[in-house]
Amino acid sequence: MRSTWTGGTALTADSEQLALAVHESRDGAFERLVARFETSLFNYANRLLQSPLDAQEVVQDAFVRAHHALTSQYDGRRVRELALKPWLFRIARNLSLNRRRGHNHDLERPLSEFDDGRIGPLVPAISVTGIVEAREERDALERAIESLPDDARELIVLRFMEEMSYQEIAKCTGQTESALRGRVFRSLKLLRAALSEGEAQSCNAETC
Amino acid sequence: MQCRNVLTHIDAMRTDEIDSQDRDRIRQHLDDCPSCEESVTDLEGFAALARSLRHSPSESLAERVCSSVLDSYDSFDLDGDRVWVAFSSAGLRMVDIAAADESDFRERYRKRFGRELRRAPIPENCRKSVEAAMLGLPIGLDAIDFSGLTEFERDVLTTIRKIPRGEVRPYAWVARAVRRPRAIRAVGNVMANNPMPFVLPCHRVVPSSGGVGNYAFGPDRKRRVLRSEGAPIELLDSLAREGVRFVGSATTRIYCFPSCRDARRIREENRVPFRSAEDAARKGFRACLRCMPETASA
Repeated sequence: MRSTWTGGTALTADSEQLALAVHESRDGAFERLVARFETSLFNYANRLLQSPLDAQEVVQDAFVRAHHALTSQYDGRRVRELALKPWLFRIARNLSLNRRRGHNHDLERPLSEFDDGRIGPLVPAISVTGIVEAREERDALERAIESLPDDARELIVLRFMEEMSYQEIAKCTGQTESALRGRVFRSLKLLRAALSEGEAQSCNAETC
Repeated sequence: MQCRNVLTHIDAMRTDEIDSQDRDRIRQHLDDCPSCEESVTDLEGFAALARSLRHSPSESLAERVCSSVLDSYDSFDLDGDRVWVAFSSAGLRMVDIAAADESDFRERYRKRFGRELRRAPIPENCRKSVEAAMLGLPIGLDAIDFSGLTEFERDVLTTIRKIPRGEVRPYAWVARAVRRPRAIRAVGNVMANNPMPFVLPCHRVVPSSGGVGNYAFGPDRKRRVLRSEGAPIELLDSLAREGVRFVGSATTRIYCFPSCRDARRIREENRVPFRSAEDAARKGFRACLRCMPETASA
């Protein structure tokens, strides 16, 4: 298990230095770590839990644990080999899932069948419709993301909002990269389906 | 290559996470398949928008995270000393006047508490507490954050707060006071590691045999602090040389530690020296209720 956190392109020189700086308790290092990852981890935890309050607690807990691990548990070699970003996301993920133990979650369910068709437009033509409509469309997209199953929502967050590589996501979620490609595609299809459903509903409401 | 296989790869291709052979085959397919080509455009549009959909945490989150992991420190000059102070939201945690510089102080703190420090302006009440303590004045328990200390350390450190300014007590007395009469050396260790000298007056704890004993900032400094508080250092020294540990009053038939304020009121002609509590008891003297000297007799 330990080796899954090491090596590869996910380990950028920059985040390696940051982990090492925290390990060595350099001045301001932990603050830099928090500043750099707080929005990412909060967004991720909030998308998983769909509760800002729970997400704040998870993020706080995740940082406390990360700090403890980096300063008191891991030796220098292990810190140098750590893929910091997916490691942090993994901590936030585990804490989020713990928090929901007892609730049903479907992060680990098998990839369902999908058809071969194209994904379909995920972004309505925002540029030509003006600010008000752009906002409505963003809201529609937001609602569609909220309605996704947990696993699909998680991948949309990690891949598109947090811009993580497949290798990083694999380290975070414990799935293989090739399986993730299929899952990301399925997630996009589900998002498209949720968007169409939302449009249909709002059309019915306005009886257009 | 089939559409299905192409579609599962186009997102990886977007970020160049695909081997060159696959890329060439997919490009070829996209040239011939307008439907898949459209999906690439859709995907790129979504990827460009998605980042703006991130939820942001409340502004106070980073502060809360940092303050739950890091304590704060500051320093200021007071009577020729550079005073370094570590504090949390619960109060003072460490005071030092021997640190060479910031990193030295942070290192000492980390060794002591296993926690890190960040620079932050010291709150006015913390600063006032330290200033009062360095003048020998008592400060409230609520100004002190005792977390991270063992129960024994906490007991010892709160007990020495009760030693009045201008007086001293032996290590053995402190050990008795915390109901661990044999833990004299352990008391000495707590004194040596006192995180808050001056605030918790470890300088008022001395060896039973007399003299001032050791101090984190050197015995000379200990004498200076005690003298500034009005402790009768010279008297204690001369009594120690004579082997006198207690003094009694011939009129009240009560014996005390020599630095006890009641002992210091005894007139010269009524002063009776004792080498031990047993000696005093044998001669019909009882122990002072204020300084409780019998607790120091081993």
